[in-house]
Amino acid sequence: MKALLVGEYREGKLLESTYELIGFAKQLNAEFDLFMVGSKDQLPQVDAKLYLADVTTVGEYNPSLHKQLILEAADKAGADTIVFLHSSSGWDLAPRVALALNAAQVSEVVEVTADGYLLPACNAKLRRTVKSATAKTVVTLQGGAFMAADPGGAPQVEELSSSADGNTEFGGYEQAEAGEVDLGKAEIIVSAGRGVGKPENVEMIQALAKALGGEYGASRPVVDAGWVPHDRQVGTTGQVVSPKLYVACGISGAIQHLAGMKKSEFILAINTDKDAPINEVADVLVVADIKQFAPALTAKLEG
Amino acid sequence: MELTRELYWNVGHAVLMPMYLLVIASFGVMIWGLRKRLTTYRLGQPLERCDQRGERLLGVLRDVFLQARVLRVKGAGTAHGLFFFSFVLLTIGTTLVFIQADLLDPLFGIRFLTGNFYLFFSIVLDLAGLVALIMLLGLAVRRYLLRPKDLPNTSDNALMLVLLLTILLTGFLLEGARMAATEMGTDLSWWSPVGLLFAQPFAGMTEAGQRAIHTGLWWFHFALVLGFFCAIPFTRLRHLLLTPTNIFFRDLGPVGKLRTLDLEDEEAESFGAAKVTDLTWKDIFDGDACTYCKRCQDRCPAWNTDKPLSPMKLVNQINEVSFADPETSLIETITTDVLWSCTTCRACEEICPAAIEHVPKIIDMRRNLVLMEGEFPGEEVTKAMEGTEINGNPLGMAPAARADWAEGLDVADLSKGEKAEILYFVGCYASFDRRNQKIAQSFIKLCSAAGVKVGILGKDEKCCGEPMRKLGNEYLYQMLATENIEQIKATGVQKIVSACPHCFNTLAKDYVDLGLELPVEHANSFLAELLNSGKLKLESAGLDCTYHDSCYLGRHNDLYDAPRQLLKAAGASVREMEKSREESFCCSAGGGRILAEENLGERMNQTRARMAAETGAPTLISSCPFCISMFEDGIKGANLDEQLKPLDLLEILAERIEA
Amino acid sequence: MNILVCIKQVPDMESRFKIAASGTWFEESDLAWRINEYDEFAVEQAVQLKEQLGDSDLTVLTIGPARVKEALKKSLAMGCDRALHVVDDAAHEKDPFQIASTIAAFAKEKSFDVIFTGMQSQDRGSGQVGVLVGELLNIPALTTAVEFACEDGAVTVRRELEGGLKAVVKAQTPALVTCQLGLNTPRYPTLPNIMKAKKKELLEVPVNDLLNEESRLTALSLTYPEKKGSALILEGEISDLVDKVIGILKEKTAVLAK
Repeated sequence: MKALLVGEYREGKLLESTYELIGFAKQLNAEFDLFMVGSKDQLPQVDAKLYLADVTTVGEYNPSLHKQLILEAADKAGADTIVFLHSSSGWDLAPRVALALNAAQVSEVVEVTADGYLLPACNAKLRRTVKSATAKTVVTLQGGAFMAADPGGAPQVEELSSSADGNTEFGGYEQAEAGEVDLGKAEIIVSAGRGVGKPENVEMIQALAKALGGEYGASRPVVDAGWVPHDRQVGTTGQVVSPKLYVACGISGAIQHLAGMKKSEFILAINTDKDAPINEVADVLVVADIKQFAPALTAKLEG
Repeated sequence: MELTRELYWNVGHAVLMPMYLLVIASFGVMIWGLRKRLTTYRLGQPLERCDQRGERLLGVLRDVFLQARVLRVKGAGTAHGLFFFSFVLLTIGTTLVFIQADLLDPLFGIRFLTGNFYLFFSIVLDLAGLVALIMLLGLAVRRYLLRPKDLPNTSDNALMLVLLLTILLTGFLLEGARMAATEMGTDLSWWSPVGLLFAQPFAGMTEAGQRAIHTGLWWFHFALVLGFFCAIPFTRLRHLLLTPTNIFFRDLGPVGKLRTLDLEDEEAESFGAAKVTDLTWKDIFDGDACTYCKRCQDRCPAWNTDKPLSPMKLVNQINEVSFADPETSLIETITTDVLWSCTTCRACEEICPAAIEHVPKIIDMRRNLVLMEGEFPGEEVTKAMEGTEINGNPLGMAPAARADWAEGLDVADLSKGEKAEILYFVGCYASFDRRNQKIAQSFIKLCSAAGVKVGILGKDEKCCGEPMRKLGNEYLYQMLATENIEQIKATGVQKIVSACPHCFNTLAKDYVDLGLELPVEHANSFLAELLNSGKLKLESAGLDCTYHDSCYLGRHNDLYDAPRQLLKAAGASVREMEKSREESFCCSAGGGRILAEENLGERMNQTRARMAAETGAPTLISSCPFCISMFEDGIKGANLDEQLKPLDLLEILAERIEA
Repeated sequence: MNILVCIKQVPDMESRFKIAASGTWFEESDLAWRINEYDEFAVEQAVQLKEQLGDSDLTVLTIGPARVKEALKKSLAMGCDRALHVVDDAAHEKDPFQIASTIAAFAKEKSFDVIFTGMQSQDRGSGQVGVLVGELLNIPALTTAVEFACEDGAVTVRRELEGGLKAVVKAQTPALVTCQLGLNTPRYPTLPNIMKAKKKELLEVPVNDLLNEESRLTALSLTYPEKKGSALILEGEISDLVDKVIGILKEKTAVLAK
């Protein structure tokens, strides 16, 4: 396999996720080159060939132009596999490249097996294994599915350029408004249930959420009691969420709460009651008092 | 001495002609005024309310002439009742005078107001007048001095009180002046003690003076009576005629059954009620029959938890809009927050002395919002509706998992071709919610213990459609109901039992219109019968508890005694809450509100949980998965989880099955 | 303006999936079906655009067996003018390229000004079809829209990127837009619109009239992930529990990797 890894660069910065692509190639022991639209000041630390298009001339967003550059790089590299991250950039570009190469695209790969690629299906309730039926293949990798490679080394840069125009116009970035809580999009949510005992203890949950780099939420009784504002309520009568990690703290699991969070990819529940309904949806149930467990976990994560 | 009095004393029979002409004229004004109102009632849609006339008249007798509903509320209700009875006696007395003086005596020379009958007549009317006077004064003190909270006060109230008080007072003064001239000092006078009291001021006057005052008072009193007749259509005095009429036209049940819309009607341009003209004539009439007694408001769980809904105000707004501007948007006038606040608990309708039907009006307006605008109280409700369309349950759970709770239990899954005579309609919460699955499992255990095999529809059962229907989504309700009925009919079962009052009420009453004709029973009465017939044997084990009457079991179906009998058999002693049985206070889940966020006012489930905690009993029992779900949250929310635990009656019973 | 919205009918993700005898897809019995969530946003946006422009024609297209008509009917009730059902009993065997080719073959003839698709499907989640259709028709494809505007023959969308960041992008019509969750609030069809929808045009075309491309992907198998079932229960000393939990989070989730 000869892979071309398409690195990511945004708002003047190399994205760390690029190392996941390298990790993937290394895991497969594949020969690889890199391509990225970026800047010489922000090069990935890796001993590999890098086809670099200067962001100041080709722009951070310009799919038709980037497609041409990737095709050029793939051709020069003699790559049979073009690898993207399954990200807002990857899923936008990959199909364009795949079509131009008459190649199959395999999206959101979580594992490479002996006979093909493993992908999630139906909200990760199922998994598909598929293989490419074309000479070349375009692959997008699920974020976090492959261990990032450690940075190290320096790339041999070959600059690519193009003066072609695209058919789209980029109008800049907009940051999310501060203070706006959209739990629906949070990747990590730590929720407080009645098991936290009293309003002051909600702080423990906030601290744990912060230590994990996520948002905090709450079950309906906690919101009803006025301990947590309503926009943080998780459940069918609040927000329906599906984060990568959901930590249910002292939540026994009323039906409306379960229906609102059970699509989460991984659920960690902390409860004193081993038979609580939350058990049904949780991946891990820690039988403990959240008031002792949450500060201990937070301390460990921070320490 | 003859025991009677001279009718038309002093004023003479010459007044007859002008008197009758004026009376006829005042009746003319009254009828003209009422007819004008009739044109407004006619703006409403047709509705059959003239069937079963005997039953209707019986109701009028009970609730008007015996004041049965009025008297249910002590204080103002008692005063109104006593005033009413006195007023009726006074009216009968006046009518007797008319019959003798203007009909029987001049035509046949028959006088019956003589002798002992006259004495009886005299004292009864005298005391009736006194009671009426005292009650009116009492009501005036209540209204203007005690000022009950949120009692609407308008000039109409003052006018009615002053008019009636003056009529009574001038009546007594009139009597006093006559007695001073004719009866003072006779034994006869003792038979009109109040009149005698009123005669004292006139005692020292000359007869001419007495006669002059009497004439003046007579005409004044008469003018007031004429004014009273004329005022009926134009003031709230109209309730004298309209409230009894409304009681005649009342809904004869089944209690809480909603009108089924014809959704296939190609002619229909709109569904539900956006304007008063979309309501029925009875809905408009209701507005005019309201006496503003605020009993509905006092009882309304939404009003009592600081939500904007007052059933009385809603009916009054319909009334105002009907007469002022029938084409205006009723929904905008009332506001959607008010409409979505109702839990359809029927506390208002159950207590209304004027037989007003509040809930169907709210549902009709909700129907318009949903069917014509696609509007719901919140996005969570829209999601639940969509979830129901897709999965057949508002929880969005997999239909294939619907019967998972029954694994290992002795129950026939009819969807797999197994057979049973009795269908247990499980409902969504008992099917999918792990907390409530215990209720379903308990029911099956109880049936098995009594040797009764029941079947379930399994994955073919769908939501009964009750929350959707109550939220105005008649389309989705009919879709679900039709599918359920088809499934039920295909199984050939002979009877249906449900442990969910919402399913039970819907299947028993609402499904009839869509073609389901099987007997439907609630688990409580079903089990009570098994207990009474000796098939179900329970071990008595002490339990200190309080019992919450679910709205759809109690006020909708009068099932108050069966659960208490079962509790007793289980050895439980029930500490009743102040608001129990008919007075029960909704858990907040009715009217489809179980699917909606409660964003306004206080939490109803917490309010109810506190009422339960006040009894001191550690267990709160209900017979409804909705109530149990609400209390699970409400008890925690009110910080009562250390002292109160919610349980379904069936869970209690299942624990006590005799080994 | 001529508008097209492409939708897919998918099983509700709550459904209990059973793997079919073929071993490459799931059994269809006992599943509850719905419009792919992302596509509902697409339909809503298409209807809003039609309402904004007034004089427009909005076609909704889907590919699949007879059951997918339900999804078309709902889209018609939401406000689409006509529906095209590309009849394909084996739609689940087609790869994204074949699906996109089918749509493009139909769209080529019709000169649509704006085409909406969902950003991905809930069952497959490849996220390819929309972009491929745009590329096959040689028109700009703007992906992952959380905001959409159309003025003076140009469409502007806000693309949702990672970490709450949004990018504003613009293209001249004809253009294709793929819709992300949260783009709008899909409407609940009103009863008169449900009734009207029953009378709207719903054409059927056999898939072979439009598709003559071979699959580029071979499906090998469909499997259950390692059993989730009931939770792994951890009991013991708090400090041990904390270490165990951190270990598990590192191993099973990506959240502590970064």
